[in-house]
Amino acid sequence: MPDVLAKNLPYLLSGAVMTLWLSLAVVGLSTALGFIIGTLGAVGGRTTRALVTAYIFILRGIPVLVVMFLGYYAFPAFGYRANAYVAVGAAQIVYAGAFVAEIVRSAILSVPAGQIAAARGLGMPRAKILMHVVFPQAVRLAIPPLLNTSLTTIKQTSYASVVGAWELTYAAREVVERTLAAFQIFLGVMAIYFCICYPLSALSRWCEGRFVVAH
Amino acid sequence: MIEVVQLTKSFGELRVLDGISFGVDKAEVVVVLGPSGSGKSTLLRCVSFLEPYDGGEIRIDGELVGYRMSGRGQRVPRSEAENARHRQQVGMVFQSFNLFPHKTALENVMMGPLHARGQTKAEALEIGLSLLAKVDLSDKANEYPIRLSGGQQQRVAIARALAMRPKVILFDEVTSALDPELVGEVLIVIRELAREGMTMIIVTHEIPFARDVADRIIFMDKGLIVEEGVPGRVLMAPASQRLQLFLRRYQGDYLAT
Repeated sequence: MPDVLAKNLPYLLSGAVMTLWLSLAVVGLSTALGFIIGTLGAVGGRTTRALVTAYIFILRGIPVLVVMFLGYYAFPAFGYRANAYVAVGAAQIVYAGAFVAEIVRSAILSVPAGQIAAARGLGMPRAKILMHVVFPQAVRLAIPPLLNTSLTTIKQTSYASVVGAWELTYAAREVVERTLAAFQIFLGVMAIYFCICYPLSALSRWCEGRFVVAH
Repeated sequence: MIEVVQLTKSFGELRVLDGISFGVDKAEVVVVLGPSGSGKSTLLRCVSFLEPYDGGEIRIDGELVGYRMSGRGQRVPRSEAENARHRQQVGMVFQSFNLFPHKTALENVMMGPLHARGQTKAEALEIGLSLLAKVDLSDKANEYPIRLSGGQQQRVAIARALAMRPKVILFDEVTSALDPELVGEVLIVIRELAREGMTMIIVTHEIPFARDVADRIIFMDKGLIVEEGVPGRVLMAPASQRLQLFLRRYQGDYLAT
């Protein structure tokens, strides 16, 4: 009975809109956070670099679901009430930020030493070297893996349903409970997630080999 | 104009520069020869202060490079901003060109004027265009480095160094990474600079070129200056055995020209 899916599609699509908003917020803010932390990890002093390394290593070693539960229960533990979206969003931003930070950090460190020597040789000050020589090349190196990470991050927003944040996966579970047509509904959900992710997949394919910096 | 006195530098246990002293006058062209690992490149990198040095002095127009003397006569590192200003006076051209791959040839030449000297875009553009014309690459102004041959890239790199109006240019084996048929076009540019009275220190393995262009040749081995003098004497009648050996190894090339 494929009309189960058709009948519930509007409801699922409104869940998809929420997933889109959540994804946009998490991808945007985790990318910003990761850029700052990754840059500090590449050019900061010894202590800063050690802290960044610790942040990256710790978060990479924890399942995202655990980080989200931690985030969800952290607010009440410190005496704050936060809605599920804020808790889940904050946890996912901190989590995805670690992956972005590692990509940015290694991209900055991949810029050849000769490039920096040439810029120093011209007498450019440090900040200008970073801005005009290192970052433009690092960003080109970082874009393909960053797109890849963004895809993972978008798909991970589906975990938000576990702590009661309503979005596409949560909406799907509600519909299934009502209709018992689990297979049809999740087929539809699969298609919706695919449609959300496809443009990024396609973009990352398009970028392959296009942003290579040849030396 | 440049004075180097008892310069020493070690990388860990390895003593790369073991007390080097020499001077370079204004408009003089000094060529540094020596086998690999003799410390030639490190010497240049110390003069431009891309590398700090351990002992001795480097002075340009009397001013100590990289350090200042404290009241108690101890040397204190200069700030990064002061070192950046120093490097503006010293042009550096590298073996591996090191052009900025995300900038066109013209933009590469404009980098120094724009971002080190703080000149306006219009001024930088004028400097860039005139220097690309000087190295005969006006038609490549808007090409990215990847689209240029090695010889063309190295000429852009020379223009980029010239754009800083440096007091001296240091050339670090600038033809070693080039195909043989591209070496000539780069040497022509350097020769022209010598004719115009640019002060230069050139590290090279091109001995015939050294003979033509040098006012003075310095031969280094194991971090020391072994011989020094006018090319005619140093190359034709080397006094030390080490230089004789070194020249003999290059003799194939040398006699062929």
